[in-house]
Amino acid sequence: MKTKIASIVAAALLAFPMLVYSAPVKIGFINSITGKEAQIGENLTNGAAMAIEDLNAKGIQVELFKEDDGGDPKNALAAYEKLVTRDAVVGVVGPYTSGCANVVASRADQYQVPLLVPAAAKEEITMKGYKNVFRLNAPANVYSRVLMDAVKAYKPKTIAFVYAATDFGVSTVKTAQENAVKMGLKEVANEKYQQGQPDYRPSLSKVKAANPDLVFLVSYDADAILLMRQAKEIGLTPKAFLGAGAGYTTAQFAQQTEISNFVVSATQWTDDVNWAGAADFGKRYKTKFGKEPSYHAACAYEALRIMALTASKAKNPASLRAALKAGSWSGIMGPVKFADYNGFTNQNNHPMLVQQIQNGKYETVYPASFSKKKLVYPFKR
Amino acid sequence: MSFLQPLLSGTLTGGVYALAGIGMSLVFGVMNISNFAHGDLMMLGMYLAYFAFTLLHIDPYLSLVLLIPTAFMFGFLLEKLFINKVINHPHQNQILLTIGLGLIMSNTALLAFTSDPKILTTSYSSSAFNLPGGISISVPLLLSFLITCVIIAMLYLFLSKTTTGMALRATSQNREAAQLMGINVAKMSAIAFGLGTALAATAGALIAPTYYIHPLVGHSFLLKAFTICVLGGLGSVVGAGVGGIIIGVVEAMSSTYLSSDWKDVVVFVLFLAVLLLRPQGLFGKKGGQS
Repeated sequence: MKTKIASIVAAALLAFPMLVYSAPVKIGFINSITGKEAQIGENLTNGAAMAIEDLNAKGIQVELFKEDDGGDPKNALAAYEKLVTRDAVVGVVGPYTSGCANVVASRADQYQVPLLVPAAAKEEITMKGYKNVFRLNAPANVYSRVLMDAVKAYKPKTIAFVYAATDFGVSTVKTAQENAVKMGLKEVANEKYQQGQPDYRPSLSKVKAANPDLVFLVSYDADAILLMRQAKEIGLTPKAFLGAGAGYTTAQFAQQTEISNFVVSATQWTDDVNWAGAADFGKRYKTKFGKEPSYHAACAYEALRIMALTASKAKNPASLRAALKAGSWSGIMGPVKFADYNGFTNQNNHPMLVQQIQNGKYETVYPASFSKKKLVYPFKR
Repeated sequence: MSFLQPLLSGTLTGGVYALAGIGMSLVFGVMNISNFAHGDLMMLGMYLAYFAFTLLHIDPYLSLVLLIPTAFMFGFLLEKLFINKVINHPHQNQILLTIGLGLIMSNTALLAFTSDPKILTTSYSSSAFNLPGGISISVPLLLSFLITCVIIAMLYLFLSKTTTGMALRATSQNREAAQLMGINVAKMSAIAFGLGTALAATAGALIAPTYYIHPLVGHSFLLKAFTICVLGGLGSVVGAGVGGIIIGVVEAMSSTYLSSDWKDVVVFVLFLAVLLLRPQGLFGKKGGQS
């Protein structure tokens, strides 16, 4: 008898958890804190920490369960399963990398706990029709599209591709080629290179001989600096250098003003965009952590903020999913709405930004409605 | 497009490859050891040049004056402490030892300097001379090439004119006979390894202003240096010099006329062809090593 009463009480408590007033909302956060992606993971960690701070200041108590996937999809999946089964979170933000996010996304419908992906770009993640998977950032195909849109008004005629022979390089250029065809651009050179070579001059000379209006580059870290150095050496001066991808968006690259000035690149976020609070976020981040935030920090901040705001009202995964689907927000990432379009499900149609390095600083130059500076075109030395 | 452009830039890049190859070849010739830490010694040279430039504000090319003796001493000590112990042991022990030393160096560098690539930017890093016909020559690459030529000339004089140089060559030709003639072969080994290290570090410092610096950068250069040595004939200093230039030019030509994606394929097909037709390498001694 006693056990019967106890179990009824327990069931009642489980059924009405919202009665326990001001209990913090439980949210999971999967990130690459260690491993290859740790450097970017740190940006996400910091962004999330700032979101928690701001939510607390508004009186929203969040209990954040942080999990590290080390950049490994296997760990990410284990982390998600632990969060939903053991920690009983109502929603999960993360993981960072495309590989991890893609695997976790495939299980979200099974566990019925909403997953909000903050910064992974692989298109597939929101293309499989998963009901519990939401994505804040723009997918990979937008990178090349927005770059070409930015220069469309200047009517370029020809384009050359120079890119690393990696998965990322090849797939980005593939979508870029489709966009180029749509814009009526003629491809005059296509140079795929093996990373880490000391001499790219022969490839760049070929590009120079083809005399393209646009040079579209996909490179990682230091290769970007090497390529631009040698491009200057041999006197390659197209009307614009379009850098899609990692190497052209680092502070280290911007500091090399002699070679990086006026290079155009695509990004999810900048601190000089005119979205409410973006500049303030950049400033606070710099004071707090002593370095510039990358777009990943802003994505993590906004994803966690949206998740916590919605979850604090929704209380359980099912109503959280409905609220995420129905709601719309506005913040440091601009307007956010999870919509179904062009084969995507629950995908925020995030307007990507185009930035140009002007005097060693990244300045937002496109779309015009979000930027304060103008694109410098044609490129000059 | 001009045929001369890839020929010139390939030759200049090849010059630095040659320097890396010569150091490795010298060590092999005198000690009969394949030094698999060679690439990592290059990496140390790059970091030395980088820190000399950023902390002491010494031009990377001028820093060679400090770097060469430092690297020589480092190599000399390495030989005395480690390499010396395996010199009469089977090749696999020697290979494992040098690979191990290389791993210790690269991973220590990874801990100390992190995996962020460092960029050495001098005032002339991206400047070039423009010749008529649209040919441009990179200033830092040309400087590196000229310094390489001077160093090779000095090495040649040292090996052919000085007593120590002759003793080194004697040890290289026949270790036992040299010992019987009263040459201190143990000392020659240490000197050869010191010289090899100094040449590797110099090659690293020379490439630093036109490349980036990373703790694991040695691996790709090790493969290149090894290819150059075998192509030119293991143990042959002249062979390594010529081999370096050949590899540089072939790389540049194949990325110009085929695709830069294919250049490694072309290099290694050529490498295999040389090994098939002349197994001892272009300038190697017939009969090989015992």
